[in-house]
Formats: sequence, structure tokens, C-alpha cells
Amino acid sequence: MSVVRRKSWTARARERAVGALPPEKLLPDSQPSYMSSWIYVFGVLTLTALIVIIASGSILALKGPGWWHFTGIGLFFNSIHMWSVELFFFFMVIHLWGKYWMAAWRGGRARVWITGAVTFLVAVPCALSGYVSQQNFDAQWISTQAKDAMNASGIGAFWNLMNFGQMYSYHVFLLPLAVVALVIAHVLLVRKHGIVPPFELSEAQAKPASGAGPAPDSGSGGAS
Amino acid sequence: MMAAIFNLNHPAHTVHWHFFSMSVANVVVIVVMLIVFVVAILAPFPGHRGTER
Repeated sequence: MSVVRRKSWTARARERAVGALPPEKLLPDSQPSYMSSWIYVFGVLTLTALIVIIASGSILALKGPGWWHFTGIGLFFNSIHMWSVELFFFFMVIHLWGKYWMAAWRGGRARVWITGAVTFLVAVPCALSGYVSQQNFDAQWISTQAKDAMNASGIGAFWNLMNFGQMYSYHVFLLPLAVVALVIAHVLLVRKHGIVPPFELSEAQAKPASGAGPAPDSGSGGAS
Repeated sequence: MMAAIFNLNHPAHTVHWHFFSMSVANVVVIVVMLIVFVVAILAPFPGHRGTER
């Protein structure tokens, strides 16, 4: 009688992970030629801005509000943190526009699109909770003004802008954790499915206008 | 401490057009994003040769 030995969960997890993302897919050394356009740069620019946000935010959290408000180097890191967030959203919105007009959900990439869109939605409260975590009059003004919008929409009981401890916890832990987890999932899904190719030219677009002579790439071997 | 390049010690200027109301700063950022988006599509990428596919 043969004995069937069940694989351990670690072996099954490893096989599944390597099957979905073999090393050459996870860390490719070449990319398709259609990526030779500046519009494909904005995803990695967004990632770079996120790294600067996390690094500068970690330093601010270590040093505290007395440092970031009243010392020269603290003000510098405070500004680095704020401007990297501005650039993060700037690059992310252009990345989103580019992918929207490419219909980047094509070819089984729905989860890539969904994780990107949800990251954007989670990043918004992550950034807004930073405004009320500054520990200054600006933060007090913003929280007392914005609480009415929260209360009017019915989520004020769960998302209390006047509760500094809750806002700070959301800003430095819960929401960044969600953003980073979603970004990791998004990047791994991009690696799994590959970058979305551009739309194929339709026949009408590919055909030269009547009387204009043959198109340069019409198969005569003249294209270079 | 170094002074700000722009004088920010006043209420924000806003753009009003019918129902549309937005601070000038936000309008500027959106216009710059649109310009960068168009440039990113049209500007040639270094090392890429013309329209070869």
C-alpha cells in the first residue's frame, strides 16, 4: 500500500509563489519596446516619492513635534515630508490618467487596475490625516472645520478629527500600512501580468490616405 | 529664518466661474499636471528611434 505524503503548507506556498512569479518575471532585465515613452515613468516616480514619504515620516515620528516645528533641520524634514506627498499625488494622478487612457485593465489586468485605484482612495485620507497631526494651530483649525463634514456624512463616530490620538495612529500606522501593502500587491500584479501594451492600430488608421503612396511600414522592408 | 518666496499671509485667491470655485494654487497644480501629461506623451524618449514598433 502506497503512502501519499502531503506537502507542508510552506512547500505549497513556495511552489505557488514561484509558479505565479518566477524570478525572471519578478526581476526582469528587459522590457517591451513600447515602454520607450515618458508616460511609463510615472509609476516608478510615484514609488520613489512614497519611499521618501516613508523615510522622512519615520524620522519625524522618531524626533517629535518640538523638533519638526522649532529646529532648522526639523523644519527641513517637515518640508521634505510635505513636498514628497505633493509629488506623490502629482505623479500618481498622471500615472492614473495614462493608465486610464490606455485601458490598463485589458488582458486580465483587472486586479492591477483595482489595487491601483484603491491605493489612490486610501492614500487620500492617509494624507489628510497628516494635516490634523501637525500639532499646531493649522491642525486645530482644519480639524474643527472638517469635523462637520465627517459628522454630516455619518462617519464622525468612527473617524473623529478632534481625537488627535486616533488621527495620529491612522496617519503614522494604519493608513500607511494599508497604502504600502496595496502598493506591494499592485507592483507584484504588474510583474505577474506585465505592462499593458498600447492599443493596436485599427485597419483604417494603418491604411495610408488615398493617393499618398505606400505607408513607410507597409511591408516593403523600407522601415528602419 | 528665511522668508517665503511668495507672501502667503493673506486668504487664498480663488477662481470663480458659475458653480466652479477653486483656489488659484490648486488650479495651477492641475494645469501643470495636464501640461506634464501631454509632454510625457509627446516628448521623445532617449534612446528610442522614431516610430519603430
